[in-house]
Amino acid sequence: MEMAYLDAGLGAGITVIGAGVGIGMIGKSAMEGTARQPEASNDIRTSMLISAAFIEGVALFGEVICFLLATK
Amino acid sequence: MMASKKYSYILLFNLLLALVIVAPVKAVEESNNKVDILGKLQNHSYLDFTPIGKLELPLLFKDQDGWHFFSSTTAAINSNQGYTDEHYLAHPNADKKIVNGVIKPIAYHLVREDGGHIDYNFSLSSHLAFFLLSGIVLGLIAFPLKSKYASGIGRTSEPKGTFQNMFETLILFVRDDLARPNIGEKKYLFFTPYLLTAFFMILFMNLFGLMPFGVSSTADVTITAALATMTFLVTQIFASKDHWMHIFWFPGVPTPIRLILLPVELVGLITKPFALAIRLFANMASGKVLVYSIIGLIFVFANLFGDAVAYGTSPIIIAFALFIFMIKVVVSFLQAYIFTMLSALFIGMAVAEHEHDHEHESH
Repeated sequence: MEMAYLDAGLGAGITVIGAGVGIGMIGKSAMEGTARQPEASNDIRTSMLISAAFIEGVALFGEVICFLLATK
Repeated sequence: MMASKKYSYILLFNLLLALVIVAPVKAVEESNNKVDILGKLQNHSYLDFTPIGKLELPLLFKDQDGWHFFSSTTAAINSNQGYTDEHYLAHPNADKKIVNGVIKPIAYHLVREDGGHIDYNFSLSSHLAFFLLSGIVLGLIAFPLKSKYASGIGRTSEPKGTFQNMFETLILFVRDDLARPNIGEKKYLFFTPYLLTAFFMILFMNLFGLMPFGVSSTADVTITAALATMTFLVTQIFASKDHWMHIFWFPGVPTPIRLILLPVELVGLITKPFALAIRLFANMASGKVLVYSIIGLIFVFANLFGDAVAYGTSPIIIAFALFIFMIKVVVSFLQAYIFTMLSALFIGMAVAEHEHDHEHESH
């Protein structure tokens, strides 16, 4: 029973590492792109949000699984 | 020097506050009142106006005896038709909570005394009530706006008044920044009404959850799943021939690869609305859990280090909870935006008609 809580906590942490690295890389590239081409910042922002939403979606799957483990 | 003086004032203030409120908190601890954080996310058959009371909602369901309608959970328990509260079924020897000769429910979850199943439950629950409330508010806003635009205000002349100006900003944002670039010049006007409805519906549901006594319906996976299903249906019903071609018989690649791509594309068809539903649900639910968890830290500190530490840290914790609440306002808008934008993107991908040169190459 307690192991499920440990699993859920570890799983949530590991999921957040992956999502954080992914979204950080998107943000880095988007900032570089905007700095090089400020006139394209609107398009860059839209594509950045779309990619971030996809990464976030995958991360949330992981978090939901951890949530289910913790509330079992 | 100044800073340390300031901190000492804060500390003094907290100590005074501690002395004033120590007695009631002790009383709460002794009565063993546990705050059920996950219970705040669940769908209840009542609206919680806690200091005032609970407003029970009507029940409509079908079980093995047929359809039943009760005006409230209390009425159903006291009707002598074989229904009881889940709490009383689980604890048969416990004393029942009786107010003015009427048995009151504790868990507010109606079950059959013989343990039978309730097959179809069409009861008005708290999430559904706020879903309907959002719909009514949306109607109250949309129809006056529609008649204004129909009479020419905002089309041939400038929009008039705060009300129209405020919503025109959002409506034009959805039309020009979400629908037009993602769906394309030719078809975007046809899908704008759906995107506007989804945007405002999600926005209102999110914002109602932040109001006092409010319940955020979007923190319920069934409601987000319903919204995502609507996007899925709109996408598939209005999909172009090319969309189905790309799923079942991918153009421009050899046949073995087509057979590999077929299941991949079919799974992709389902994962898009699934991710939409889970994303909205998880964002709204996690925000709610986060606020309650941060407030709960006060009580964790009280248990671990004593009351003084809890009172000392409570201003910081409450300020942090307030900060998270502000973020939740932003997230309410952001999630409505992301849901609408991804819906527009999926619709745009499905309705796009490709130039037909690459298909001719494959034949």
